[in-house]
Amino acid sequence: MDRRTLLKSVANASMLAAVGRFPAPALAQGASARTLHFVPQANLANFDPIWGTQYVVRNAAAVVWDTLYGFNDKLQPQRQMVESEDLSSDGLTWTFRLRPGLKFHDGEPVLAKDAAASLARWAVRDPMGQMIIAVQQELTAIDDRVFKWVLKKPYPKMLLALGKNNTPMAFIMPQRIAKTDPFKQISEYVGSGPMRFVKDEWVPGAKAVFVKNADYVPRQEPSSWLAGGKEILVDRIEWIVMPDPATASAALQNGEIDWWESPIPDLVPMLRKSPNVRVDIADPLGNIGSFRMNHLFPPFNDVRARRAILMAMSQEDYMRALVGDDTSLWKSLPGYFTPGTPLYTEEGGEILKGPRNLDAAKKLLAESGYSGEPVTCLVAQDQPITKAQGDVTADLLKRLGMNVDFAAIDWGTVGARRAQKTPPGQGGWQMFHTWHAGADCVSPAPYNAIRANGDKAWFGWPNSPLVEAEIAAWFDAEDLDAEKAAIKRVNKAALDFVVYAPTGFFLSYQAWRNNVSGIVKGPLPFFWGVAKSA
Amino acid sequence: MSAPKLIVPPHIAVAHAMPDLLPAGKPRRGMIGFLRRHPTVAVGSALLILMLLMAVFAPYLATIDPTALALARRARAPSRDFWFGTDMLGRDIYSRVIYGARVSLTVGFSVATLASVVGLAIGLVSGFVRAADAVLQRVMDGLMSIPPILLAVALMALTRGSVGSVIVAITIPEIPRVSRLVRSVVLSLREQPYVDAAVVAGTRTRAIIQRHILPNTLAPMTVQATYICASAMIVEAILSFIGAGTPPTIPSWGNIMAEGRALWQVKPFIVFFPAAFLSVTVLAVNLLGDGLRDALDPRLAKGL
Amino acid sequence: MLAYIVRRIIATIPVMGVVAFFVFSLLYIAPGDPAAVIAGEQASPADVERIRQNLGLDHPFMVRFGEWVWQILHGDLGTSIFTNLPVTTMIRQRFEPTLSLMAITLCFTIVVAIPMGVLAAWKVGTWIDRLIMAFAVFGFSVPVFVIGYLLGYIFALELEWLPVQGYTPLSQGLAPWFANLILPAIALSCVYIALIARTTRAAMLEVLQQDYIRTARAKGIGQRSILFVHALKNASVPIVTVIGIGIALLIGGAVVTESVFAIPGLGRLTVDAILRRDYPLIQGLVLLFSFVYVLVNLAIDVLYTLLDPRIRY
Repeated sequence: MDRRTLLKSVANASMLAAVGRFPAPALAQGASARTLHFVPQANLANFDPIWGTQYVVRNAAAVVWDTLYGFNDKLQPQRQMVESEDLSSDGLTWTFRLRPGLKFHDGEPVLAKDAAASLARWAVRDPMGQMIIAVQQELTAIDDRVFKWVLKKPYPKMLLALGKNNTPMAFIMPQRIAKTDPFKQISEYVGSGPMRFVKDEWVPGAKAVFVKNADYVPRQEPSSWLAGGKEILVDRIEWIVMPDPATASAALQNGEIDWWESPIPDLVPMLRKSPNVRVDIADPLGNIGSFRMNHLFPPFNDVRARRAILMAMSQEDYMRALVGDDTSLWKSLPGYFTPGTPLYTEEGGEILKGPRNLDAAKKLLAESGYSGEPVTCLVAQDQPITKAQGDVTADLLKRLGMNVDFAAIDWGTVGARRAQKTPPGQGGWQMFHTWHAGADCVSPAPYNAIRANGDKAWFGWPNSPLVEAEIAAWFDAEDLDAEKAAIKRVNKAALDFVVYAPTGFFLSYQAWRNNVSGIVKGPLPFFWGVAKSA
Repeated sequence: MSAPKLIVPPHIAVAHAMPDLLPAGKPRRGMIGFLRRHPTVAVGSALLILMLLMAVFAPYLATIDPTALALARRARAPSRDFWFGTDMLGRDIYSRVIYGARVSLTVGFSVATLASVVGLAIGLVSGFVRAADAVLQRVMDGLMSIPPILLAVALMALTRGSVGSVIVAITIPEIPRVSRLVRSVVLSLREQPYVDAAVVAGTRTRAIIQRHILPNTLAPMTVQATYICASAMIVEAILSFIGAGTPPTIPSWGNIMAEGRALWQVKPFIVFFPAAFLSVTVLAVNLLGDGLRDALDPRLAKGL
Repeated sequence: MLAYIVRRIIATIPVMGVVAFFVFSLLYIAPGDPAAVIAGEQASPADVERIRQNLGLDHPFMVRFGEWVWQILHGDLGTSIFTNLPVTTMIRQRFEPTLSLMAITLCFTIVVAIPMGVLAAWKVGTWIDRLIMAFAVFGFSVPVFVIGYLLGYIFALELEWLPVQGYTPLSQGLAPWFANLILPAIALSCVYIALIARTTRAAMLEVLQQDYIRTARAKGIGQRSILFVHALKNASVPIVTVIGIGIALLIGGAVVTESVFAIPGLGRLTVDAILRRDYPLIQGLVLLFSFVYVLVNLAIDVLYTLLDPRIRY
């Protein structure tokens, strides 16, 4: 046992003996056992989960604000802040009643008008919310604990929208804060959840601090992802931003940090060997890698060129580049939906299966009329996932005989350039890389990237009335079997048309110290139920 | 006694004959004699020439295409087939390091040359044209006050990563120092009687520059250029470290190290080999600079 | 003297003006849209445009520049686009770690490099001289992050004498504060030590040849006294000059060191801001760095008068 741990354990053991079963939180020596040091996947650059929709902001917000409903580990919405809901027989009026005794962090009670205002702000920025307000009649509070949402057309997936974990989540804030323009940041962080955000100690880019909210009343059920009782078992959580994975790995081994959200896969074998560190899969819903082609301009405006890419690409190469040699971390993905979920299908995915046929791909590419024009490929160098994928793509295109114009830029510039609809020679683009959380790809509902409605679609602007029709059919499906049948058709249509090129399905690990318990697998790190012993 | 308000370039400040790090051999005449008297120049140039040869003959020295991905054999330790091991995408590190010499040396020499040329021009204008001097000096002061790495990162943000943009991004922060050097030479030489005489005799400015100014700037500028070259190679590595360097399709010592930095605890060879080559090359250039400064009359440098 | 200082401070204004204009223009023409990053993956172009308007990013160049200068003249450095915190707050939060790192690096460098240079000058031509200078040149040649990783590996991970990363404020104790900063300071100082040792040696050699040293020796003054009192004092002008120039280099090296050792300092803040295009933050930080550089140069010029009585302004 190393010196440091020995000293610490001796100190804590003697204190335990003196005090009893658990060290009292007020004791200074016990304080370190009540503070959890967590290294997040990225920097917490802002703290408005509606305005800034990055995953890391959502992860932090999930512990500071509560939601009306929350997904459990079966991706079913369960009641959280809501005591009961009622849907009128014509499906147009949703009435929600809040739980009694809910309070904000400033001591004010949570009222229906706060909920209504929060939902109004959320719906403007959320794709499902936008669908709801498109058919909205009114959203009003009836009394202190009841509010109703009246629609012009039924929206059966309402609870899914309110409880989903995809960003932006429908967090409930005080009305005065929720009145902020959804395109402007809030500046006060008064939460409704189990922990408070300590704004005074926030150093963006370095540290964020959360303390336990003693006034929070968790639900009585056991917790399951975003549903159930959210009980916080530590006093304080410190998020420490570490830009260097080697440093984070050393700090975890040393005990300077307790929980690392995303260790890079190559370091995991070493972490596994370390006696005080545990490693496991972080999110069973994983991630789907993607590169998107520009459907507006040659060569990828021709479906044959796109299919040639699918024929030639090796998902194994992409996945190994992303997650290394550990084969348990990736699966090939002959489709667009998350493996391990009810709607997963491989229908139409033959083109991505089996040995790669480079010659046939080259022929198909030639047929599409490609004759050596430069293909501008945007690759963000500061995101490891896009960087790795970009390298593999450059190699793939070269082997296909294409002329690659490799634009090594940063993620911010990718964000700006991919929105340009100009031709490639004039500042446009033909390919860029990204990835999606598996949780966002379980169904077409939150899945913007699979839509093919031309101008309104995601970057690349795929335009396929057939794909859209199949997606609409899924939305109208009455039960699970009908949904499954519809999804099969969606998958096939989307693959035939090549809405985008999925590079594979990959998982990532999380790592923590032995003395931390209660960490579960999930689409985001859940801090309730996590305890740290001395 | 006038105040030395000019910021004298550190490497030139009060130069004294710096004896070689190595003991000098028997004196002989000509080039061999020169090298024997100044073994530091000899060692420095020898190493540098070695690196240059490696860069030039890279296609023959490399064992495999440095950009060829082979994900099935990623991150393997050095072995008989892959002398320096493979990186995270399965590329051969040995071949990448050999080719990397091209980029690092190109960046080093280009920055040194470009900064010297532009700095010379600005320094001359500054020294001769009073009106321009005030403006140029303020601009140069302003540029110098921005930390060079940050300026380079900001310049890289303007455009995509490529060897050319890296060269420009590293050159711009170096220009003020060169221009200062040249300007101080010009200013001090203008006081010299023989230059005065030339001016009085009606010699055109261009001839004055050619005959009197340039020969006197050549020595200190050359020495300074070698230091700029060494520094540029390190800055290129740092830019890659930050993520604002050359794209990975063009291997450079900097970006090989940057890509492997996360793994250095488990696969140290990815960082070690390019680091070793970079260090040796920078060392060689530094030695060359030291030796040159000693060999070229140090009194010239002192006269600034 | 006072008049000189005042004149110099006034002279910094045009320099800062140049810096401000240059940085602002640079960022204006740089591609990349913070609004797109903020809006996130699901946003429509209309959404992004609304965010841009709210951030004032759609105004023309001169308007934005004018607004910014007006703000600065009122002591307001603006608000960060991403965090919505005032730039001054963000700088204040991260100022202490960088300042501490610089201070310790500077002290360490001076304490190590100057005696090194003096020793080398005293034993000029011998193997000691060569060894010291070889060491110095080596320090120049290895990239900072390689040294940082090595130090971290040996002292923090293997020997566990020191923490791997992080920063403890001085208010929480001198020992922990120092413990977090030793390794980064050593890594950062390698280049600096090389530079200063060489300059010290060169300056000392120049001085040791002077007549007054010979006189002092003839008078029987001890070697140590000659070296450190008579010679060093006279050699100090170029040494101090180099220290001043080196401070700009230090900030560059600090960026890397702060990254490797996870120190929440200004270097990392600036690089992150540049990569994200957080314009107000970048502008504020660059102005700060320039101002510090100018102040340091002024301090050094003033120091000259103390070191060399022949210098008067």
